[in-house]
Amino acid sequence: MKSLKLASLDVKPRTTIDVDGHTIGAELTVIAGPCSVESERQTVETAIAVKDAGATMLRGGAFKPRTSPYSFQGLGLEGLRILATAKAETGLPIVTEVIDPRDVSWVAEYADILQIGTRNMQNFSLLKEVGKCQRPVLLKRGMFSTLEEWLNCAEYILSEGNPNVILCERGIRTFETYTRNTLDLSAIPAVKELSHLPIIVDPTHSTGRLSLIAPMSLAAVASAADGLIIEVHNNPAQAMCDADQALTPEQFALLMSRITPLKQFLDQQIEVPDETE
Amino acid sequence: MKLNEIRKRIDTIDLEVLALVQERMGLAMRSRKFKDGIRDPEREEAVFDRARRLNLNLVEPNFAEGMLRKVIEESRRLQGENRQLVAFQGEHGAYSEVAARRLIPNGAYVPCMEFIDVFKGVEEGYFDLGVVPVENSLEGAVTQVNTLLTNTELTVIGEAKEPVRHCLLATDGKEYREIRVVYSHPQALAQCRDFLSRNSLEPRPFYDTAGAARMLTRERPRASAAIASALSAQLYGLDIIKEGIEDAASNSTRFLVLAKQPSEVTTGDKCSIIFVTAHQSGSLYNVLNLFAEAGLNLTRIASMPLRTDPNNYSFFLDFEGSDRDPTVSTVLEQVHQRTISYRFLGCYPADKQSPTAP
Repeated sequence: MKSLKLASLDVKPRTTIDVDGHTIGAELTVIAGPCSVESERQTVETAIAVKDAGATMLRGGAFKPRTSPYSFQGLGLEGLRILATAKAETGLPIVTEVIDPRDVSWVAEYADILQIGTRNMQNFSLLKEVGKCQRPVLLKRGMFSTLEEWLNCAEYILSEGNPNVILCERGIRTFETYTRNTLDLSAIPAVKELSHLPIIVDPTHSTGRLSLIAPMSLAAVASAADGLIIEVHNNPAQAMCDADQALTPEQFALLMSRITPLKQFLDQQIEVPDETE
Repeated sequence: MKLNEIRKRIDTIDLEVLALVQERMGLAMRSRKFKDGIRDPEREEAVFDRARRLNLNLVEPNFAEGMLRKVIEESRRLQGENRQLVAFQGEHGAYSEVAARRLIPNGAYVPCMEFIDVFKGVEEGYFDLGVVPVENSLEGAVTQVNTLLTNTELTVIGEAKEPVRHCLLATDGKEYREIRVVYSHPQALAQCRDFLSRNSLEPRPFYDTAGAARMLTRERPRASAAIASALSAQLYGLDIIKEGIEDAASNSTRFLVLAKQPSEVTTGDKCSIIFVTAHQSGSLYNVLNLFAEAGLNLTRIASMPLRTDPNNYSFFLDFEGSDRDPTVSTVLEQVHQRTISYRFLGCYPADKQSPTAP
């Protein structure tokens, strides 16, 4: 991919990103939390639960890109303040989505990592804006995008001067209707062949089915993903969005108890030599 | 005007009416210092009479009188509580008021234009206490206050180390995206320089932090915000966009509580003095040595050029110890002898609450 002047594996060794002492790209990053910030209690309770289960970061939406304009749009600035409270309580860094270029500097005041959602992957003015800010960016794959299009979007952010981009595979649209999307696990080794940027996997939105989240999480870790981003809600039945695909804190803890030994086992195996070395 | 605009105006007016009532209560409490009893029927009648004669067709005479009766009733109740009148410099919501509220929880806090108004008011008995800043951890001494301290007969009866937590305030938090201009005292703007430039906000100097907050509520300028205390947000009904926006995490100001008489209730463990030494080699050393030999720990030493003699300095000294302790009183007697001018500012409890950064 000749257009990748900065994102290509040919130009740079693998990127690692330090966030509050946790190194993305070197350690397994598990980002967990509710789809949206609904209240301080819901967010802080969930944050404490996911931290106890072993999550390394907290996710939570304050600005929600919703399919319908009549759906809950998020708490906005109030949501950011709630996330800051949850961080003060747990120490977990905050990952939250930004959907409007005018919000970038304000979201960056509160968040540790800015997320660009699948619907905004090719919103180039938004990409340029996050490229100018000092926070790492989690760039989700567009649901209709090829790897090349996706990596070119990362290139947009890098070219504005922000070197800290994390890619996130979240499933693509196929003719399959049983799952919400089709999780493209092959994207993990493929991206690692093409780019130095870390890549994590979202098993929640890609499958849209509670029963598939755990197996796909384990498969992602086995495929050498740098991390996972998983929706967890302290009371999924009451959730204001994505109620039927959020794990309970108990289900999440159970999943973590399976991921940890798998990761340890993989780390003990002889590493496949990196082609750059 | 549409309904939502009308409602916005009504909300502003409600806040203003309450703020004015608060101001009236404050003035009524100050009036106590000038009269023997609380009740003054002649004066009350004059107030009602004037209200009745006003020709406001929507505020009918009976309603106007009734409303004022209610206010005066409450004002009498407040005056009966005998709250201490605590003066501070700045508008309501100033960091001095934040300190005053913590140190003297049930006071009536009176804003003053200038520091000298605080000093004079306490000296002349119009206020019971004054709360003034002496030193900021980032900006150093507050010279005006230190100059006034050298000339005052007042006693220091307390201190407060107050963390300064600047907040970005706006009339409507949901419109944060529109903010372009930020009003505040130049010192507060300077302390938030990084925050302002990160968010492409233009600083606009204003005479006072709390004054900027008050202006926002009253004038509602477009695309504007203010930097002030969280207390200001509460007092003026503003939304906090972000708390703790100062660039350096530890920013605190030390305040002193001034009174006419030393406190009879509390015992102090810290003292403040001011002195001037003769222009001779070793004269300052000789004074400091007294403290060293007595094992008294100094917590602050500051100097200021003398107004009357620019070649000489007055020295401010704070140390740990009580004036009731014989060691301390002996040292102070000796200090008095070795200086050409000496004043004991007071002995007071040290503020143990260290300013906490979030």
